[in-house]
Amino acid sequence: MAQPLPSGLPETVADEEELARLLRSSGHFSSTVVKASAFIPAKDGKTSVIRHGAEPREELWTLARLFLGPEIKFHGAAICKARSIREQLLDVVADEPPPRHGNIVNWPLNADAELQKAQQKELALAIAAVSRLVRIEG
Amino acid sequence: MPEPVSTAVAGYTLALYLSTRTGSAVSREAAALRDAASAIVASRERSVALFGAKRRVIDRIYELASECDHDGWDGEEGLCISPLVVDRAVSFVRALPDGVWLPETAPEPDGSISFDWIAARTRVFSLSVGPTNRLSFAWIDGTDRGHGVARFDGHAVPARVLSGIRELTNGPAAALRVA
Repeated sequence: MAQPLPSGLPETVADEEELARLLRSSGHFSSTVVKASAFIPAKDGKTSVIRHGAEPREELWTLARLFLGPEIKFHGAAICKARSIREQLLDVVADEPPPRHGNIVNWPLNADAELQKAQQKELALAIAAVSRLVRIEG
Repeated sequence: MPEPVSTAVAGYTLALYLSTRTGSAVSREAAALRDAASAIVASRERSVALFGAKRRVIDRIYELASECDHDGWDGEEGLCISPLVVDRAVSFVRALPDGVWLPETAPEPDGSISFDWIAARTRVFSLSVGPTNRLSFAWIDGTDRGHGVARFDGHAVPARVLSGIRELTNGPAAALRVA
């Protein structure tokens, strides 16, 4: 049986687990909607998430600050379940440290960079459509 | 060669004067002149309104470029938005025909700018402008969805992209957002 991670969470991310994708740009959401761009993977083919739901909110923001460091601004988070990611044939895997950190992986790869981006965008649109926007108040 | 600004302004001022003039001239020529002047004024006013709306999107592109002016802007490996990408994005906005809903904008980790036409949470057309002349796009419309790549020559929005935007944005809400 797999050992728990340093954070105390199980190594396997359960389907029902809520994930928070931090919104680094004011362009990553509109008044109530999360945009697909928020989920597009980085150069390494991974999209970082925090294994935490919308509540308790203060704890989420503390984890966010721990992950991003003090310099990087963020505006809130997109919350979705791991199941929503897997429904797009992607996966979520634990990746600690930092505590409660995970990655969305298995994004489509293609020799044609623009086609790869379009394929990733389609999946990101589907995830964004079922995500909930949580903004930092104030 | 473009018309000097002073000449254009003088022409518009004359047209405005003629279009609003309610003199006693009743000849066919005078009426035709007044109608032509009215058409110029109406066209000019439409252009100003359109330019204003596009200007806001273009300003937002510059804002995003400033927000993402260094690699790692997202706390990870996000590439900065280059001047080339900004130029292409501005050209794309300028190329959008009259009457097309104007998009929202967002930065992406590969240094592209995303244009998003969001009719509803599950009715979205999204397009990326990057450093090449090929545009990546995808859409979701309820359970229907897809993606593609189209070439942008810097002047005309590709037909596939335009029809995709129009399909997603036609509806009662769209009327409020049209340029």
